[in-house]
Amino acid sequence: MTKYRVKGKGRVNHAKPVSFTFDGDRFEGVEGDTVASALLANGVHLMGRSFKYHRPRGVVTAGSEEPNALIGTTRGKGQFEPNTRATMQEIYPGLKTESQNKWPSLAFDLGAINDRLYMLFSAGFYYKTFMWPRSFWDSVYEPFIRKAAGLGKAPSEVDPDSYASRYLHCDVLVVGSGPSGIAAALSAGRAGSKVVLLDEHAEMGGTLLSEPSITIDGKEAWDWLEAALAELDNLPNVTRMTRTTAMGYYHQNMIGLVQKLTDHLADAPTAAPRERMWRVRAQEVVLAQGAIERPMVFHGNDTPGIMMAGAAQTFLNRFGVLVGENPVVLTSHDSAWYSAFDMADAGANVVAIVDTRPEVPAALVQQAMKRGIDTLVGHTATGAKGRLRVKALRVNPVRHGKVGPAQMLNCDAVLVCGGWTPSLHLFSHTKGSLHWDPEAKVYLPGHKTENVHIAGAGRGLWGIAAALEDGAKAGTDAVKALGRMTGTATYEVSNDRAGTGITQKELPTDRSAGKAKAFVDFQNDVTAKDIRLAVREGMKSIEHVKRYTTNGMATDQGKLSNMNGLTIASDALGKEAPQVGLTTFRPPYTPTTFGAFAGYHKGKHFEVTRRTPIDSWAEEHGAAFEPVALWRRAWYFPQAGEDMHKAVARECKATRESVGIFDASTLGKIEVSGPDATEFMNRMYTNPWTKLGVGRARYGLLLGEDGFIRDDGVIGRMRDDLFHVTTTTGGAARVLNMMEDYLQTEWPDLKVWLTSTTEEWATIALNGPNARKLLAPFVEGADISAEAMQHMSVVECTVGGFPARLFRISFTGELGFEINVPARHGKALWEKLWAAGQQYDICPYGTETMHVLRAEKGFIIVGQDTDGTVTPLDAGIGWAIGKKKPDFVGKRSLERPDIVAPGRKQLVGLLTDDPKTVLTEGAQIVDDPNQPKPMKMIGHVTSSYWSEALGRSIAMAVVEGGFDRMDQTLYLPGESGKPITAKVTSTMFYDPAGDRLKVE
Amino acid sequence: MLLIHCPYCDDTLPELEFAYAGEAHIVRPEDPSKLSDEEWRDFLFIRTNVKGVHAERWRHINGCGRFFNALRDTVSDRFLTTYKAGEARPDMTQLEAAE
Amino acid sequence: MNAPVTSFDAVSVTLLPPVARFNLRIDPKDLSAAASAFGLTLPTKIGEGAQNGDRAAYCMGPDEWLLHAAESDQQAIVSAFDKVRATTPHSLVVISDRELTLSIKGPAAAELLSVGCPIDLSRLPIGGAKRTVFDYAQVVLIRDAEEAFRLEVWRSYMPHVQGILEIATREFAAGY
Repeated sequence: MTKYRVKGKGRVNHAKPVSFTFDGDRFEGVEGDTVASALLANGVHLMGRSFKYHRPRGVVTAGSEEPNALIGTTRGKGQFEPNTRATMQEIYPGLKTESQNKWPSLAFDLGAINDRLYMLFSAGFYYKTFMWPRSFWDSVYEPFIRKAAGLGKAPSEVDPDSYASRYLHCDVLVVGSGPSGIAAALSAGRAGSKVVLLDEHAEMGGTLLSEPSITIDGKEAWDWLEAALAELDNLPNVTRMTRTTAMGYYHQNMIGLVQKLTDHLADAPTAAPRERMWRVRAQEVVLAQGAIERPMVFHGNDTPGIMMAGAAQTFLNRFGVLVGENPVVLTSHDSAWYSAFDMADAGANVVAIVDTRPEVPAALVQQAMKRGIDTLVGHTATGAKGRLRVKALRVNPVRHGKVGPAQMLNCDAVLVCGGWTPSLHLFSHTKGSLHWDPEAKVYLPGHKTENVHIAGAGRGLWGIAAALEDGAKAGTDAVKALGRMTGTATYEVSNDRAGTGITQKELPTDRSAGKAKAFVDFQNDVTAKDIRLAVREGMKSIEHVKRYTTNGMATDQGKLSNMNGLTIASDALGKEAPQVGLTTFRPPYTPTTFGAFAGYHKGKHFEVTRRTPIDSWAEEHGAAFEPVALWRRAWYFPQAGEDMHKAVARECKATRESVGIFDASTLGKIEVSGPDATEFMNRMYTNPWTKLGVGRARYGLLLGEDGFIRDDGVIGRMRDDLFHVTTTTGGAARVLNMMEDYLQTEWPDLKVWLTSTTEEWATIALNGPNARKLLAPFVEGADISAEAMQHMSVVECTVGGFPARLFRISFTGELGFEINVPARHGKALWEKLWAAGQQYDICPYGTETMHVLRAEKGFIIVGQDTDGTVTPLDAGIGWAIGKKKPDFVGKRSLERPDIVAPGRKQLVGLLTDDPKTVLTEGAQIVDDPNQPKPMKMIGHVTSSYWSEALGRSIAMAVVEGGFDRMDQTLYLPGESGKPITAKVTSTMFYDPAGDRLKVE
Repeated sequence: MLLIHCPYCDDTLPELEFAYAGEAHIVRPEDPSKLSDEEWRDFLFIRTNVKGVHAERWRHINGCGRFFNALRDTVSDRFLTTYKAGEARPDMTQLEAAE
Repeated sequence: MNAPVTSFDAVSVTLLPPVARFNLRIDPKDLSAAASAFGLTLPTKIGEGAQNGDRAAYCMGPDEWLLHAAESDQQAIVSAFDKVRATTPHSLVVISDRELTLSIKGPAAAELLSVGCPIDLSRLPIGGAKRTVFDYAQVVLIRDAEEAFRLEVWRSYMPHVQGILEIATREFAAGY
């Protein structure tokens, strides 16, 4: 047994040793230990170095509020985690842990030089120390700060763990499983409510785990606890979750829970997620989070071995560990007296109980005397001896505000209690107001904004009896709020340890306050002096003091430091605490992994990847893919030895010379149906629809009400009262939403209905002079000859035996067809066309070739050649506007002053003087390359490609007054060398007469 | 994540089913061509941007698909009420009295 | 098509064979015409369903119904609605191929769905259906029995939905 383990004490399994490593050394703990309790059992208090000064630091708490004992844990390859609280990490065989912020070793750390240079790091040092000389910032100061500062090191490998998430709905969520939480869960559970009770620790019980000597309803505390938990487990409507942190409290009783599932296991099953995020929606919430013990602020209060008295009591009673053999207790609250008694009863030689209050209850003094413990009431602590471990505490009497002569109390631990702060972090997340209790000098819950009940120590109540009573009431209140009736349970408690205490600023001292290193925030190395300096330098609100000093800004969010910081600041300002304010607690309650937030959204589920019915064919045929909206689309089909440029040139050539096949399934499709469909289309789109015959198709252009281009696509008239509307791939959902908006809210009188059919149809495009020859043999029920089926028409028929909507349209300038068949048949039809197309050397092409072919024809891509500020006139497609129509969405805006003003950017073609030069998309354009910088940019390139058909580069660009600049030479300044020169042209680069559509 | 009451489904459901759709009660003019440039500008771009009770539109896009209106306090982020498209904005004084 | 995607004792996830599926939009006043064309009285409250043999209708919105029928009946149903269109305007759109359907069955079915469904599933009535979301995908969730659900998912979103359900099912099977 390790030296500080107390036989028979605690809830750990003394018979089951567990070994693990800390900084490479092997340590032995027992089953049920945390890293902190196991190290303490081995006499190790020094567990880390501080953030700024690299001061040696020991563990100070036994819970998640721990500011000092932050460790790195390694569970396996890639499974390194920094900043884990040693007080929360359970040990298991083979666990590897390491301390942080030290080099070369924890006991001898060169970074501690900062401690000697502390005058450089006082409040606001970021703003002062490093401002001069300015040039030193980048080369000296910043690298220095980056190296020295920060907590732990970030993991560098991919996290191999998996993370999970679930939604949960319950009647009553109880946060915290101390006596009030359990009593609340019992009340609500017995009444039949769906209850979830959670606790961040491995075991439920909270304070009860540290107070075994109390009796409840005639049972010893732990027996009562066992029975209560068993009762909860027997209720089918109650769920208990351990190792689970309520990390944030959001609107309307939504609480985020992070459940740690495997961090305590040596061998986790492969399918087990490491953590699960629960998004809980509770009708009623009971917050029973208890209170957090406050440190005392005095010179040297951060010396290892100085820790919270309540933590020492927990280490003893829950883990069977004596944190020291000769402890001194320093307190301003009754609770630490009981910690002292428990330590003494377990065999420690308690040197003295030092209480800063002028008077304490006589019963406590009697109990101390009975145990032979010295009591020094009305005393202050003014220093600590020892660097890596406390050796003595310097104490002085205080009488009428005067600090008397010092004495040294030799010790190996100092157990401190500066009072208790109600834990109201989650309540603060709800924007519930806190109200200042001037008596107890604490903030208590005030006005509530959610259906929430706060119970026990969170309301400033003290003692197990009060906690149980209050918890039972909170549970009952929650049930009543749900509209059910229930009684309130009562509990008989004996040997309770109720008590009171006071809150203080930094302790009075006989030494120079200016030289004191009295820490308020251990994690961010903020001292009482820093806070007073901030006030002297003009910080009046606690929010300013916080940011100037960084008090409360570390990963513990000031759980230990906020109240002490506030008390000192309000003293320095000469104001009451509520006038100084309180900083806001924000989620998460404790540091939360990115994995927990990401959940299943990693790897291939990071985002939805939509695939067409033909996607698998493309994959089998070696396609390169590109993301388009949420889709992945075949980009090009490289053959052996081809790069993208070569593949695209080949695909373009094959399509223009014979026939290409393209998967257009991602195009948005909307069925616009009803007697008023034509009127609706007339109002939505710029084009006129009344005279479009059944079986004909038309290019449709959609504007926003501001007159700018939103979307486009080919629209076919299937019946008098039915249009098959296509949209851009990315615009599908947006266009449907916009149409629904007008239909539902502006024109509810129109009898029209909209249905998305994007995924009902697979769409295959055939383009090229041989497209008809290839397609015709497959078509039944329609004549697709040149005479019977004109360009821009649509027919219902069967293709390859599948029911189809067959369009004759072209986005390439070649003879083109788009075949829509029910999605399940898409791949089968593709394969039939592919097989039959071999006689024409059919070529599958991807989005890149599609882009080149359309650019050769000057067809725009909405979102590439337009950017939300381009009108139809700017884009040179004013012909798509139905001039005679009285109104359509965006029409009025086309007459706005800015829209009709000269000098607008207009879409034109650009041909580089050097035909081999392919411009960069996005490149800026100037009309005088010799003007002084910064030059006036008159436009930019929107599309640019190598055109295989023309044997040269082509580009489209938006240019100020572009239509009036035909044949002008413009300049594109590059990153180096001479600017590229290019001439303004029409965007119709290829076959301007459209002869190629007229294939017989 | 908020809970939102859909007046068409008559059900209170998670925000994930809904999409915000801008300020409410801005009616598209019957004949936009009759509006002056200034009036048309105001229709297009000028919004109240209130601190306090805001009448706004939402769509139950992952539910019944309906657009509807809501009164929401932009300070507390709380919904005061929701009502169907086309209905008049509820009287706030009555709502407050009911609270 | 009927092969189980993943299953263990508490829940099985299966891809169902296709059905004839329609999106019906009609003024609720004209519902009786639709009912006679479809041969089933249509429910009028959003979220409710009606079944008769292999015909089913679910009310999705104030003027929207999801209709299911045997695949072989698809053309007949289209024709029946065609006949009443002149007198009773409506929109009937075939969406048999738009969605794929998963069956999720077993004592842990609701809990498995809670991996991606934010709604309180205990409030979804048996025989009812609702459009909602599963993770990033819009879905229609149908409840056939206390422990039996169907999830209709747009075809291209199915790999994502199915992938997450598979991972989650493995968690369940491992006791997590």
